[in-house]
Amino acid sequence: MQPILRACDISKSFGAVHALDKARLTVERGEIHALLGANGCGKSTLCKIIAGTVGLDAGEVLIDGQLAALGSPHLAEEQGVALFYQELSLVPQLSLGENIFLGREPRDRLGFTDRAAIQRQTEALIDRVAAVAGKGFTPDARVFDLSPDQRQLAEILKVLARKPKIIIFDEATATLDRRQVEVFFDILRVLKAEGVSSIFISHRMDEVFAIADRITVMRNGETVAEFAAAETDRYAVVYAMVGETGAIAASVRDHKPLEGDARLAVKDVRAARLGPVSFTAQRGEILGLGGLQGQGQKALLAGLFGAEPFQGGSVSLDGVDVTARRPADAMARRIAYVSGDRGRDSALPGRSILENTAIASLVRERRHVVPGAVFRERFTEVLAGLNTRYAGLDAPIGSLSGGNQQKVFISRWLSPAPGLLLLDDPTKGIDLGAKGDFYLLARKLADEGATVIIYSSEDSELLSLCDRVLVLNGGAITADLVGDRLTPFELTRASYGDAA
Amino acid sequence: MTGLNKLGGRTWVVTAAALIVLLVINAVLQPNFLEPSVVQSNLTTFLPLVLVAIGQTYVILGGDIDLSVGAIVALVNVVTVTVIAGLGGDGTAVVIGLVAGMGVGATCGLVNGLIIAGLRFQPIVTTFATSIVFSGLALWVLPQAGMPVPEPYWRTYAGSILGVPTVYVIYVVAFLIAAVLATRPFATRLKAVGGLRTAAFQTGLELGRLRVSAFMLSGLFGAFASLCLTGETASGDPLMGQTLAMSAISAVVLGGTALAGGVGGTLGSVLGAWVIGMIGSVIFFAGLPFEYQTLVQGLIILAALAGGVLVTRR
Repeated sequence: MQPILRACDISKSFGAVHALDKARLTVERGEIHALLGANGCGKSTLCKIIAGTVGLDAGEVLIDGQLAALGSPHLAEEQGVALFYQELSLVPQLSLGENIFLGREPRDRLGFTDRAAIQRQTEALIDRVAAVAGKGFTPDARVFDLSPDQRQLAEILKVLARKPKIIIFDEATATLDRRQVEVFFDILRVLKAEGVSSIFISHRMDEVFAIADRITVMRNGETVAEFAAAETDRYAVVYAMVGETGAIAASVRDHKPLEGDARLAVKDVRAARLGPVSFTAQRGEILGLGGLQGQGQKALLAGLFGAEPFQGGSVSLDGVDVTARRPADAMARRIAYVSGDRGRDSALPGRSILENTAIASLVRERRHVVPGAVFRERFTEVLAGLNTRYAGLDAPIGSLSGGNQQKVFISRWLSPAPGLLLLDDPTKGIDLGAKGDFYLLARKLADEGATVIIYSSEDSELLSLCDRVLVLNGGAITADLVGDRLTPFELTRASYGDAA
Repeated sequence: MTGLNKLGGRTWVVTAAALIVLLVINAVLQPNFLEPSVVQSNLTTFLPLVLVAIGQTYVILGGDIDLSVGAIVALVNVVTVTVIAGLGGDGTAVVIGLVAGMGVGATCGLVNGLIIAGLRFQPIVTTFATSIVFSGLALWVLPQAGMPVPEPYWRTYAGSILGVPTVYVIYVVAFLIAAVLATRPFATRLKAVGGLRTAAFQTGLELGRLRVSAFMLSGLFGAFASLCLTGETASGDPLMGQTLAMSAISAVVLGGTALAGGVGGTLGSVLGAWVIGMIGSVIFFAGLPFEYQTLVQGLIILAALAGGVLVTRR
């Protein structure tokens, strides 16, 4: 029999970045297919192409043996492909039934909305998941009033109402607890029994082996392996994800033995989808936060800086409580934060380089006027120390390349030098030369006594820069990798929640 | 939140209660209030506001706002009277004038919708600007008030059709249109667009078409209101209906439709329009100086807004 889906030699570039390079994916009818890979391997892009939300540069997708035209989500849906969204497609003000049939309302002969049919068909859908629906999950219930679990369920029902042949679940279980995951798996099994295929992107290895029939592994935009879940094990899968060289090569870095007592103590901090998490770090340490994207790393950094304060727990630095309620608290304690999302978190767009550099000092020193001469001298020196290329301090920030902009933003925090430097995927989208300067700076600040905590979506960056890496999965620390254990294999394995 | 739960989203129930209170007060203050002729006279006075409020509801449900509807009322009025006069003022001329007026209303709405949904302009600024344009056009068509409509026009409006007062016929037709629209998928989709635009987009709804349709409905109902006002004033007036847009928005809000979009319906707006009319009536018959009417109306709308915020905020 034909596979229900066959994607052949799919290539896709975003600018100079090759997201997919002749990637392949074959899904059989009625199977649950797990798609795995490290950050940036292209699994999400491949799913988006199949679901029609992203176009492809080359290659073809066959559905049921027919060449599929996937220009838009609507076209993909017509051909039986549905993408499961995380609570994005529900209108809170409308009822469950209205939401499920929004845009494809059953009508009576006169063209009026057939409310009785909506009621009936919604009830039929709810019956299929009755065991897990919970209280108040009725066709008339407003989505507004549903619990987060029920919204997730509503989202699944909305997909099911379209009677798809293939459903793509991208991180569908990311926000669910263990019981809810079981519920979700029950639904997947129901679909499987009905002959519907599922493509399932998960961040947990045990989930993959609990539910998947087959597994496709991607690396660097290519499909590198396909397994039948029953005939393989998690080691083979992790090896495929990191590749031969990555698995064997021990870290070539010079691991500095860390001495002395912990100076940063983070205790039981909590936030939405994070924690409680506890860890310590030392003076001079570059501590990495690893794992797949969206596992709580950013929440942890934002919490430490007070940008999104923790809901509980405490942070102390050198014996002083530095639990921040707002960024000004953190700044007063010489805690600095640099984000990779420069446009959103860092830039004062349209303002000069000097203004973009001086802003943190203005807040910290409680100044209301920029002391031009003093700041000019101070920041000219700082920027020069970072090899920043710029026409002049009065040039607009937008005139700089991404890498040079990032140097400006980090230079905000360098006079005086920070005690704790928080880096949130700081080298995203910047050139290699600037990355190198950035690494040197981080190392120099650490050597001078700072503690650096860095989250990176690139595993290679963590492996080459960090003394130690905490791996997060689902908001919890699943591994504390240091020394010989700081290898691509262990990092990938722990990223999938598979502790050694 | 619990309040809204109990009402099941039927926020118009509160408006209906307020209306009943006002009716009782009016009946006490004004002994002949419930006589059929007085009822008809009051409903005639409120009719233009009711119609504009119905049209405005669609725009607000879709998450937009239409400030230009007052100017549309004026433009439709002057175009209609000019067309009727230009064609000689007989029966055919009146019919063509009415159709032209409705065409002008729908076209104004189309222009608003295309600029806002197509070019992604801010609705509040855009309709403010187009209101000036429409007003300017009205002054260009008819620089001064005047140009009476033929007698059959206003006689029919004040009279009856098959024994039923014309005003009631218009009410029934307007309610039928609103009821038909409310039971078509359009209503739900429009609420989705106003409720959470990203979700509506993800679901594959045609946002642009829905928003343009809402603006066209607002323009069309503005035209209906204008034709009714013309039946009352029996002449052209390029400054007609200037306060109608704001009063209609107030009526919609009083009727329980959220200004942010996504929640509400035309029934509440009709009740809200009547409430606004009744407030004026109460102030008049309670012997309060008329100058207080606007102030009191403003305070009541502010209270309604505050109530709405309290109900929807968790």
